[in-house]
Amino acid sequence: MRHEDRGFHPDVKRLLDGELRGGLDDLAPALREEAQEALRLLAEVDPTAPVVSDALEARVMAAVRAKRGRRRELVVRLRPWMLAPALAAAAVLVLLVGRVLQAPTAQAPAVASLTVRFVLVAPDAQRVSVAGTFNQWDPSATPLVRTAEAGVWAATLTLPAGEHQYAFVVDGDQWVADPAAPAIPDGFGGGRRNSVLTL
Amino acid sequence: MDRGEASDGAIVRAVLAGDVERYAELVRKYRDRYARFAARMLGSSDAAEDAIQDAFVRAYDQLAQCNEPDKFVGWFFLILRNRCFAERRKSKDRISLDAAQAIEAVERTDRDMETAERRRTLQLALLELTPEQREVFVLKHIEGMSYGEIAERLGTSVPSLKMRMHRAYDRLREQLRDRT
Repeated sequence: MRHEDRGFHPDVKRLLDGELRGGLDDLAPALREEAQEALRLLAEVDPTAPVVSDALEARVMAAVRAKRGRRRELVVRLRPWMLAPALAAAAVLVLLVGRVLQAPTAQAPAVASLTVRFVLVAPDAQRVSVAGTFNQWDPSATPLVRTAEAGVWAATLTLPAGEHQYAFVVDGDQWVADPAAPAIPDGFGGGRRNSVLTL
Repeated sequence: MDRGEASDGAIVRAVLAGDVERYAELVRKYRDRYARFAARMLGSSDAAEDAIQDAFVRAYDQLAQCNEPDKFVGWFFLILRNRCFAERRKSKDRISLDAAQAIEAVERTDRDMETAERRRTLQLALLELTPEQREVFVLKHIEGMSYGEIAERLGTSVPSLKMRMHRAYDRLREQLRDRT
């Protein structure tokens, strides 16, 4: 038991942990010397804080600004074990690519609708779809297709103006809210969230 | 507009909404907070600064995943901590040398030199611990956090932290005996 021999007595460790109210006096006399050694060890910690260079902020912001243009193409690798809702690592974007105003008819007033592109970056996915209030949450109704860009899935839909809730479905059973969009609880408990798109 | 009072959550949401420049407020506010932690974890001020810089950039990349924007700093700490763990695995030997040099740089008088020498010895011994052991030692004995606070921050239990710490005490004792 070499390790035990060279280690501190449990009571000395309690002293170091600050758990002996009377300090050294709470220890058996035979342990005092060992306790002194232990306290000297703690006294040798360096409490000084390094000076962080003023340039740090500028360097961080330069890196961040350089990413701004690329932010919407950010690739976050999506793996099955990362898909717990709290850890959802999808980079998702919704682009409004056009606005269509349907002509009013005698029966219906003018209804604005918009063309929306849903994009999910999921390099490891085999299948991706989007399910939401606009397709009765049917995971098979609106598949996304692979784009020319590696790992990027997309689908373009025309949706009526108003509020839509949606989530992406990866490989048929992993529901992923859009972490970059507003989200609300899905109403079923369990902590899952739906993304909200307001057109 | 006075933004000095803006909550972290408000800043995070503004950045996510596209106001990237406001990220500088978070950098300014927290750049120093964990500098000492990073320096003791990594063994040098330079390595600490690199780690803090990387952690801020990484936090920006992952900002949409910050589930509780008002607790940005706790989340940032975990990113920095992971960065420190990775760095130590990557370049253990180089950093040990840096550690000695960085601490030598602050030696001035004889008495300071003695203190610095003892601190350097302990710092080098700290670098021989596992990152998990070193972390709990640094948070408790350098940052002054309680076991309860550390457990909450790291999402672990007090008994497991104590077990780590007690192994750290033993290893430090061995290290210091070997070095003196």
